[in-house]
Amino acid sequence: METQIQLTCEDVPGKADARIVRFIGDLDATNVDFTTEKIFGYFDEGLVKIIADFKQLRYVNSTGLGVLLHFNKSAKEKAGCFKIVNLNENVYEIIEIIGATSLLDIYDELDEAVAALV
Amino acid sequence: MNNNALVMEISSDEVSSEVAVLKITGFLDFSGIAMLSGFFGKITAENKNYLIVDLAGVEMICSAALGEFMGYRKKLADKGGNLVFAGLAGAIRSKLTLLGANKIFSFYHDVRGAINAYKWDYKKQSKSITVSFPPFLKLVPPVRQLVSRLARQNGYSTKDAFRIETIVDEVCNNAVEHGLGDPGSEIVLRLSIDKEKVELNVTNQSDPEKISTLRELIKPAVQSDHVGDDDKRGRGLALIRMLSNNMDVKITERGTSVHVVKLREEQQ
Amino acid sequence: MSVAFPYTIGVKLQSDPDVIPAMRKFISEALQVSGFSAKFAFRTEIIVDAVCNNAIIYGNESNADSEVEVSCKVHEDRVEVVVKDRGGSVENIERLKEAVNCSKPEGPLADDSEPAGMGLEIVKLLSETIELDVDENNLTSIRVVRKREDTA
Repeated sequence: METQIQLTCEDVPGKADARIVRFIGDLDATNVDFTTEKIFGYFDEGLVKIIADFKQLRYVNSTGLGVLLHFNKSAKEKAGCFKIVNLNENVYEIIEIIGATSLLDIYDELDEAVAALV
Repeated sequence: MNNNALVMEISSDEVSSEVAVLKITGFLDFSGIAMLSGFFGKITAENKNYLIVDLAGVEMICSAALGEFMGYRKKLADKGGNLVFAGLAGAIRSKLTLLGANKIFSFYHDVRGAINAYKWDYKKQSKSITVSFPPFLKLVPPVRQLVSRLARQNGYSTKDAFRIETIVDEVCNNAVEHGLGDPGSEIVLRLSIDKEKVELNVTNQSDPEKISTLRELIKPAVQSDHVGDDDKRGRGLALIRMLSNNMDVKITERGTSVHVVKLREEQQ
Repeated sequence: MSVAFPYTIGVKLQSDPDVIPAMRKFISEALQVSGFSAKFAFRTEIIVDAVCNNAIIYGNESNADSEVEVSCKVHEDRVEVVVKDRGGSVENIERLKEAVNCSKPEGPLADDSEPAGMGLEIVKLLSETIELDVDENNLTSIRVVRKREDTA
């Protein structure tokens, strides 16, 4: 089965416990398990500081938002973070409608999110 | 009874005589291995080669139990069957993934998802979708992209999916161009897809007075592999014929119906 | 040739959640080629996604042999989405009635835990009306209307 989402990963120079994860496609009920497995896989490897680049994330639904909140909470519990950058307007508005903008760690640009890593 | 006590039960009647569902709840640690082996014995005795293990209620699995599952999966695979996991979530899923179990076992969200996969993979059952839309040319690209996405999603290669998309485009464009132009009429596309082929059936209403003209129009494309350079009409049908493995066109007073079969060419 | 309003597109699909992404994109693209804005199409896509997931997972209990029927009537100024399923268990129908009939949420839907049942709440926030009809055989139909708010 072809999944509607692809996740690619790259290092953050000078931050051994951080990764930039690029979300490409749609995040929905059909691939939250796959996405959870990937992100929790990073957590299990000690990569608890994740910068999620949503530049190519076209779509997110309520199930997808549920797991984003879950990643955010789990990362914090592990003394890490789950920062989101480059949200497209449509996806941002859905997060806003749900009232989750203040719960998620959202940045406009990748550089800002990297600079905010502790 | 303690809340974490290990419970196992088999249900099998609802799916198929070849499938067993083993539901496990509680802590599956070393002390549960004997119980697990006992259930595997029962399943073997019943000649069921496809086992879905429902782990939704499991709170812990030890690596020895995972080894037991691997051993039994191998036995089933040797007989052409499989052992898959359903209902895995949270920490248990993470642990199994960390142990590399996802490379050996298929994981499904729930038992129903595992059953659907069994029907697709082992019973070669088809999936179908029916789309109806008014005869507007602008709606054809969304329709052909829907079919292309479904083909790709079900494991067809990009090339196969592109060819299927081209077939849908040509059939639907013809239905719009030659069908009843009335916005109240509809074009109905039924797609049936399985592991080996895609079948399309596109019907549209036609003007009864144009039936003989339509029959003349399709003749060159239906009868010959080649359409001459001067034949402005019928090129779409000829293309469908070349891209597909079987094409059948019926024109009656009720309308036109095009049936196309396209075999899967590339495995991914 | 352009489209003529109103028109209806219908989709009958088996209860396989994996079909939903392709189907919701189809409806979204149909709206865009009909002159609706990308934003309107995106929000309608969210509605279709949530209602269909609900129909497949709860209404038809993911049984691939049961069908879900989606109809999308496209008017110049609004879209009506109707999704029919087999209803599922009595508990599901009661839960659905409660979810549809309670008032629109006013505060944020999300807390910092994984939210459950947020799908239909989003539908309410994105639509003008949402109605539920359950017939004597428990066949369930949800009708959602979303008005056009901008031009493409």
